[in-house]
Amino acid sequence: MISVKNIYKNFENVSVLRGVSCEIEKGERVVIIGPSGSGKSTLLRCMNLLEEPTYGEVWLDGKLVTDPDPYLHPDAIRASKTYASLIADGLTDDEAIKKIKKEDLLQKREGKQMKAVLDKIVAEHHLDINIARRKMGMVFQQFNLFNNLTVMENLTLAPVHLGLKTKEEAIETATALLHRIGLYDKKDEYPSRLSGGQKQRIAIIRALAMNPDAILFDEPTSALDPEMVGEVLDLIRELANEGMTMVIVTHEMGFAHEVGTRILFVDEGHIKEEAPPDEFFKNPKDVRLKEFLSKVL
Amino acid sequence: MKFFNDIIACFTNGKYLAAMLDGLWLTFIISLGAALVGLVLGTLVALVGLSKSKHPLMMIPRAICNVYVTVVRGTPMALQLFIMAFVIFAIRGFPQWVTAIIAFGINSGAYIAENIRAGILSVDIGQTEAGRALGLTSGTTMLKIVIPQAIKNVIPSIGNEIIALIKETSIVSMIGMYDLTAAAKDVGSGQNLASYIAPMTVAAVFYLIIVYALTFVVKKIERRLRSGDKR
Repeated sequence: MISVKNIYKNFENVSVLRGVSCEIEKGERVVIIGPSGSGKSTLLRCMNLLEEPTYGEVWLDGKLVTDPDPYLHPDAIRASKTYASLIADGLTDDEAIKKIKKEDLLQKREGKQMKAVLDKIVAEHHLDINIARRKMGMVFQQFNLFNNLTVMENLTLAPVHLGLKTKEEAIETATALLHRIGLYDKKDEYPSRLSGGQKQRIAIIRALAMNPDAILFDEPTSALDPEMVGEVLDLIRELANEGMTMVIVTHEMGFAHEVGTRILFVDEGHIKEEAPPDEFFKNPKDVRLKEFLSKVL
Repeated sequence: MKFFNDIIACFTNGKYLAAMLDGLWLTFIISLGAALVGLVLGTLVALVGLSKSKHPLMMIPRAICNVYVTVVRGTPMALQLFIMAFVIFAIRGFPQWVTAIIAFGINSGAYIAENIRAGILSVDIGQTEAGRALGLTSGTTMLKIVIPQAIKNVIPSIGNEIIALIKETSIVSMIGMYDLTAAAKDVGSGQNLASYIAPMTVAAVFYLIIVYALTFVVKKIERRLRSGDKR
């Protein structure tokens, strides 16, 4: 459903992701763990393009949401000027493509032919990111409820403004969701009057109010007081049991083990290990993962 | 005793009173006009300056806005006023009060742009991210979420800016305009009262009243906007 292809992300001179690929299937609950600074949040944020990857592509349901990456399309490489000059130098097709990929040779001015190939990919597969984001909800570490809007307005703004629902329908959905988490009496409050746990649960139903196909959780409990972690995890667990597709970045190892169907270990910008939870926690193979687990468990 | 008599004369002598009120009126018109021009210009410049678009059609206005803010903030107001009055609008019959409004409007626009820019940047980036993550466009996110929050942060500093503007309009007397300060000088001159202290005091009180009234209004607006906050 969400497909990440060979993503690189550089901030200034720091490379945070160095060639990450992964597939998130419908109904899966993928948990991403890793040491701080490993790039796990960046990977999650690349999935809905809150961070734009430097190289690589993100696909949603077979549609391309990033710009096409010429390095991932041999046809595009073959249409480039650099390729032509390498071939003229006597390299074989295979060697030329390898050299271009390895040495990062493609520049902006590769001529009309390469652009034509890339434009064709865009024409066939492109999906506007604003449309794609409606299908991928996001829950942030800092909740990020809209401070200038009441709880009810937070829940109805996007569905109504994007024309997905009428105002009445949106209020009806929001009311049902608020009853579900037991916070209907807070509907006219501003976020500044809510506790952290309440804010985060409302942030989760704000994502749900869009009827997304998947929800991305970026360390949803890291900014919470310990006594509020439980209520948020309970809600996420409920959604998991209903079959919602999820990608969760978290430090809660017990929760990862319990809820995840697959765990990814991200370290130094790579996915170092990837396994179902039982195998991941009981029988880790990667050296860095063993070290990491021995510290956190 | 002469001081009090002079003060009374400022209000009772028809000629003096008319002069002071004429000056006050001009100061008021220039301030109001320039504040409006400055607000519109400042908002536009701030929004253009904050856009991240890499499209060439956006790069050029952004460069222009940068130059504008740098030049206006880096040169004296009096010089800007002279250039407007004696170079750009040195046209016979062109109304001087329009020249003054344009000069002061352009000047305060640059400062207001910086205030608005800072106000928008002071809104947590997470608010924008949350809006975008829901599929809202950057324009909608700006309009519905960021700007309403930025206004609260910006109102006090824009109030200060307009107060500074009102006081600075007193330099229009340098291009021969008859504003409140010029009027006070005239009333105090040798042909009239032959003493500056009374008319200057009256002018000062007029400025003070305008500024105090404005401060009061700004505080009112601020309090209303913050009524939803916990702080």
